[in-house]
Amino acid sequence: MSRLIVVACGAGINTSTIAEDSIKERMVKEGMADVDVKRILMADIDGFLSRSDLVLVVSMMKIFREFDVPVIQGMPFLIGTQAEKDILLDKIVDILKAE
Amino acid sequence: MNAIFNAVAWFLGLGPTVIVPVVLILLGLIFKVGLAKAIRGGVTTGIGLAGLFLIVDLIVGALTPAVAALAERLGVAKAIVDVGWADAGLAWSWPGVAGLVLAIIGVNIVMVLLKLTKTLWTDVWSYWHGSAMAAFVWAATGGNVILGILAGLIYLVAGGLMGDWTAKKYQEFNDMPGISVPCGTTVQASIFAMPVVWVLDRIPGLKDWDASPEGVKKAFGLVGEPAILGLILGAVIGLAAGYDVAGILILGMQVATMMVILPRMVSLIAEGIVPITMSVVQFMRERFKDREIYVAVDCAVLLGHPAVMASSVILFPLLVLVAGFLPGVQMIPIASLAVIPFWAGAVVPYTKGNVIKTVIVILLYSIPFMYLGTLFVGSQTEAYSMMGQFQEQIAAGVQLGSWDMGGDILGSAIRAVMGIFSGGVW
Repeated sequence: MSRLIVVACGAGINTSTIAEDSIKERMVKEGMADVDVKRILMADIDGFLSRSDLVLVVSMMKIFREFDVPVIQGMPFLIGTQAEKDILLDKIVDILKAE
Repeated sequence: MNAIFNAVAWFLGLGPTVIVPVVLILLGLIFKVGLAKAIRGGVTTGIGLAGLFLIVDLIVGALTPAVAALAERLGVAKAIVDVGWADAGLAWSWPGVAGLVLAIIGVNIVMVLLKLTKTLWTDVWSYWHGSAMAAFVWAATGGNVILGILAGLIYLVAGGLMGDWTAKKYQEFNDMPGISVPCGTTVQASIFAMPVVWVLDRIPGLKDWDASPEGVKKAFGLVGEPAILGLILGAVIGLAAGYDVAGILILGMQVATMMVILPRMVSLIAEGIVPITMSVVQFMRERFKDREIYVAVDCAVLLGHPAVMASSVILFPLLVLVAGFLPGVQMIPIASLAVIPFWAGAVVPYTKGNVIKTVIVILLYSIPFMYLGTLFVGSQTEAYSMMGQFQEQIAAGVQLGSWDMGGDILGSAIRAVMGIFSGGVW
């Protein structure tokens, strides 16, 4: 079964694209072909929370609520150096492996 | 020499969907994103532009007769069709965009070196606000690219300084150290909010009046979804225009289509620019490793607080009514409503998440946009015409407006000053 990571941002226009790009690239490198990375609007997130294949939420902003799945703050994808991005990507890979 | 002129004229005649990919591929190569990524990015943005213009074409065609009929029936002058973020398409395709991108990066680096600003203007996508304004000036001055770039540069530098000013507040409220948000009309909303909130906090009764974001969302929830908001707006305009049931339903679906598809197309345009953004972030971060700097990010990061959408769903119908009834305002906002959550995101840190105060601040903030968008619509329409877009409709007297960037307060000021010097027509 495939696993789903959603990248949520405010408008689905710019910031989530940047994170989606970085995560997809890493998934290819890890050979994790079963992982689907989807960018969504934060306003639409409730529809995804009930999905059983959802394993991780990457949020491009501060979210003022709690979820059942792990949440990663994706800001370093926007402004971080390569090293900072790699730390975050390692964390995502760890979460996927621990599944 | 003549051959070169002819070649340039031929190239510019190919239109934005060809020119922009070529320009972006060149920019991509300058910023060393790699050939494959540069080509993919350039083509993606070209596709986004083509899609954007298609969808705006559809909506201008659908809304023009409806707005005309509505204006006639109600005896109000609402002649401008709201094209919203189609301005972003304009911004990435006018002839000076590459020059402006390189200029703002250069000027920003110098300003950071001289400690005139803390904001590293890394968010290439958000240059579009300045670039759209630059395109309006370019159009108003009869095609003066240099004046356009200069105007865009002033706008973006001012945006960066406002980014400095608001950064701490954004960082604390959103728990995002090290960022600033220098985006166009969004950061201006914060500056506007400062004195207004100060006054609101001193009005007894209003001071502690609030509405629960969750309650508002439950009551107005559907209106917060672009599809439903568009459907309702389209149907109401059709009804007011005296359409029959079939006409009302069709117009409702057309406006709903625009509300959903237009941001998707803008998103495609942004997608193509992402590789350049990443490369600019790396380039600048490496050069300013040891300095206290703020890294510019897109205003979308401000939308997390629940009060943002709660305020927006109240504002959507409210702003349509206000714009509909204010005398002299010639555009009913439809596509432009998409910017409201961003304004709310910029205001909420100052109202501490208070829904009522946020609504009041943005209502007041939007009124100058309504008038400036009407006042400056000439050069905006001219810019579309000069890019070869919507020429038939424009020839038939249709005017194309928006709030973001058409009605922008700072942008209008710069356009007015530029107009004095150039003798341009606004």
